[in-house]
Amino acid sequence: MTGGMAAGLQAAALLAAAPLVRGGMKKAKAAFQNRQGPPLLQGYYDLAKLLRKEPVRSEASSWIFGAGPRLYFATALAATALVPVLFAGAPLEEAGGILVFVGLMALGRFALATAALDTGSPFGGMGSSREMTVAALAEPALLLGLFTVGLAGGSLNLGDLVRATALRGPSAHPSELLAAAALFIVLIAEAGRVPVDNPATHLELTMIHEAMTLEYSGPDLALVEWASALKELLFMTVLVNLFLPFGLALDPGAGALALSAAFYAGKVFLLAVAVTLVEVTNAKLRLFRVPELMAVSLGLGFLALTIRFL
Amino acid sequence: MTADDVVILCAAGMLVSVYLMVGQKALFVAIRLYGVQSVLLGVVAVAMALSEHRSHLFTSAALTIGLKGLLIPWFLMRVIDRIGIHREIEPYVNIPSSLLICLGLTIVGYRVSSGLAEADHAVTHHVVGVSLSMLLMGLFLMVSRRKAVTQILALLSVENAVFLVALGATSGMPLVVELGISFDVIVAVLVLGILVHRIVDRFESMDVSRLSKLKG
Repeated sequence: MTGGMAAGLQAAALLAAAPLVRGGMKKAKAAFQNRQGPPLLQGYYDLAKLLRKEPVRSEASSWIFGAGPRLYFATALAATALVPVLFAGAPLEEAGGILVFVGLMALGRFALATAALDTGSPFGGMGSSREMTVAALAEPALLLGLFTVGLAGGSLNLGDLVRATALRGPSAHPSELLAAAALFIVLIAEAGRVPVDNPATHLELTMIHEAMTLEYSGPDLALVEWASALKELLFMTVLVNLFLPFGLALDPGAGALALSAAFYAGKVFLLAVAVTLVEVTNAKLRLFRVPELMAVSLGLGFLALTIRFL
Repeated sequence: MTADDVVILCAAGMLVSVYLMVGQKALFVAIRLYGVQSVLLGVVAVAMALSEHRSHLFTSAALTIGLKGLLIPWFLMRVIDRIGIHREIEPYVNIPSSLLICLGLTIVGYRVSSGLAEADHAVTHHVVGVSLSMLLMGLFLMVSRRKAVTQILALLSVENAVFLVALGATSGMPLVVELGISFDVIVAVLVLGILVHRIVDRFESMDVSRLSKLKG
């Protein structure tokens, strides 16, 4: 199997699984709150409905408005090729490592934030500025956390790193746990989960990500929603495969991959439950408190990197 | 995973919990974090007990988890509930600067521990490093926080740090000493709880800086 084919298959599989993970998290959240919650497959129904609709765009908007969601979706899709999922190695790992991964995420965010500014609606601008504020603090923490792992594995390539950890097993060094904690906070911020942002609200004072997508409808909105779900799943994949590389397939045989898929599903499920637990046990932070949380994450990442040398 | 790995990871978890304590302002979360920290300490004791066959460490693990992990957090929650005070921590130093200072303190703690003669031994190095850092951060928290309950939490974190270094460096003190310390901690928390009540009665706030008004 060539790298290109593997990349295509992996992207398709992740794209197909992403709404299910979101739906599962909604269901888990509802279960913690003694509610029924939406059906597990609601994400797919929503996407199907939105994709059938006619896009409505403001007359005041330019081509940037339409390009934003497409670029956002494309960057998330491209990032899947750099991340090892079931097999200890990414399909297109010679294309780049940590820096390309973080850069693709930043490019997508830039595209969406610019597009939200395009219509000139105050909500779009507010959402963009908030998203960029959070991202400016989350990105260094993400880089520091990933660099810590890179330092231990002796590479900046996600495929190499996961291979190294899968071969030697997770090392017991405090910096691993500190980096994992830093990346967990980054995951919550990037996925727009509760202490940072509330994905379930449309209250203008509190929303961050939702404010940017308020102007979108139909297929455009479907692309944004789908790409956000995919991005969240990608971050979770990176986290579980870097820090808990149990059961990862070391050779690309069908049996090993099936076993690895079962392990992967289990690990992502556990991480999703952990994120949901944080979501139900915490209140959303005031917007001006969010930088403090991101400072904790940044501090943990920096400390993780420093302790490696001490 | 060997017992050593468990000890190192739990110690790192305790460090993370102190960081989170420094980095957020909700009083309830800080108390819960202290509970988690104590449970992790209990796990360290269990791992030590299993790997070094010291059965009396099981007793101290049970004491740690039962008293410090459950009873003290419950008691502090009740104190806060009873007083019904404003549930936010008001630090003297703002949070990003506190985090930076704690970062520096951790580096100092770790650096000192790598100078020790036993530093070649990974477990000792990390455990001593984490506990020294926790000790320094606890002291910093005590002087930088305004509310009496947060100062109690800082004191308790310092106590956990001392316990951790005792476990890691000497593989546990004699049972009598541990029992004594545990009950000392309980009594201290009870007395401090009453003291907090008295402060709140007098000033209608838990802000200890108001105590300076008492001087004649």
